[in-house]
Amino acid sequence: MDKLMDTVVLMLQGSEVTLEIFCVTLVLALPLGILAALGRLSKLRVLSRFMEFYIWLMRGTPLMLQLLFVYFALPMIGIMLPDMAAALLAFTLNYAAYFAEIFRAGIQSVPRGQYEAAKTLGMTYPQTMRRIILPQVIRMVLPPVSNETINLVKDTSLIYILAMNDLLRVARTIVQREFDMTPFVVAAVFYLAMTAVLTWGFKKLEAHYGKYAR
Amino acid sequence: MANTQDNVMIRMEDIHKSYGDVEVLKGIDIEVHRGEVLAIIGPSGSGKSTLLRCINRLEDITSGLVEIEGGTLASTKGDGTVEYAKEEDSRKLLGCMGMVFQQFNLFPHMTVLENLLEAPVHVKKRAKEAVLPEAMALLKKVGLEDRADYYPAQLSGGQQQRVAIARALCMKPDIMLFDEPTSALDPELTGEVLRTMRELAAEHMTMVVVTHEMNFAREAASHVIFMADGVIVEQGEPQEFFAHPKEERTRAFLNNML
Ligand SMILES: Nc1ncnc2c1ncn2[C@@H]1O[C@H](COP(=O)(O)OP(=O)(O)OP(=O)(O)O)[C@@H](O)[C@H]1O
Ligand SMILES: [Mg+2]
Repeated sequence: MDKLMDTVVLMLQGSEVTLEIFCVTLVLALPLGILAALGRLSKLRVLSRFMEFYIWLMRGTPLMLQLLFVYFALPMIGIMLPDMAAALLAFTLNYAAYFAEIFRAGIQSVPRGQYEAAKTLGMTYPQTMRRIILPQVIRMVLPPVSNETINLVKDTSLIYILAMNDLLRVARTIVQREFDMTPFVVAAVFYLAMTAVLTWGFKKLEAHYGKYAR
Repeated sequence: MANTQDNVMIRMEDIHKSYGDVEVLKGIDIEVHRGEVLAIIGPSGSGKSTLLRCINRLEDITSGLVEIEGGTLASTKGDGTVEYAKEEDSRKLLGCMGMVFQQFNLFPHMTVLENLLEAPVHVKKRAKEAVLPEAMALLKKVGLEDRADYYPAQLSGGQQQRVAIARALCMKPDIMLFDEPTSALDPELTGEVLRTMRELAAEHMTMVVVTHEMNFAREAASHVIFMADGVIVEQGEPQEFFAHPKEERTRAFLNNML
């Protein structure tokens, strides 16, 4: 019993790294994703093309490769980042690209009449976006964003390869040392718990934003 | 306001509009005076919506002149390019006009009252408390004061369109533009919207109405324009226009409608 408690305490520490990656990535990647989507939809061709390229690059290569690149390749050209910062950079850039595509689809699904109504009422483009378009987009993108967010919970385990002590690495270390499978089960329970909380949260959000749709 | 002598609210001269190679408006002239109700009728695809949308710059003209209350919104320069008024002037001219769409285009995430308050509070920066009684009075006028806290999805089409009219009026426009405001409605719901529009006309609101409702055009309009293939085929006072259409095209169209 004591041993199980020790395991859980150790793993709670590991889950701190996991949670930090998860939270910071989410907080940075969501607004970045909105900006990238607006850039992707911009009439400025250079900007739109650049965003298209960025999204293609991030979605077209494995996150694992991107992590390795930031961690091992950047130092070779003189950019040294602390472990955590390196991991966060890769995660944020990657997830912002996925969120950008979700937001782009959401923005494009708002009928043109909404922009026209806003325009005839004298609203500027930023006003229209902030007050009319984005609130409708948020409601539409909640299900796909919820999906990506749950993916992120599990993707955090990729930092395993960077030798940072996240939940999964801690679990494996104990398994190897004690020759006992329990930590894997505990890890699974941790991930499931996080996913459960997120699922519940998004359900609440969907209910909140869905209230006007009858 | 600028042009108070002859009270010309909208003047359009030789308006051309093309989408790519296709010319949709082929030289249109209209003049709308204060308090007039101009009805625009014509077959589908004749360019009625395009013309209306050129008035408030939902579409840019290819050439011609657009004046709103004496101020120049768009003019054609010597080299044939169109010049639009500067941002600030443009904003002022466009602010004189409200528009009602076929598809209502209410903001679905806001209640009826929030739809009305949105622009006066966030565009005109007026105090919410000051706008509130005006908004409620408008809702009362369109018969929906008991629906202030409903969301658009909870209303019938006719109710939504009346809210859309109230929303436009809440900006205190001098001119109201309507693009087939009853075409998306079930027949039994068109009456309530037309009634609201007739009331507006009776209060001498300047209106431009694209419509398939011949009865409305005949009874509420002060001037009727019949368009086909991007040109004005015939126009006149509604009594004369409907009783004695001169052009063969007009007669064929009217026979079809009645
Ligand atoms: N954005 C656009 N791009 C290309 N062509 C367009 C566009 N908008 C309208 N058109 C074309 O311009 C012509 C006139 O269209 P418009 O919508 O003004 O007709 P309308 O008289 O309002 O017809 P309806 O009674 O069906 O509403 C049509 O042939 C239409 O296909
Ligand atoms: Mg039309």
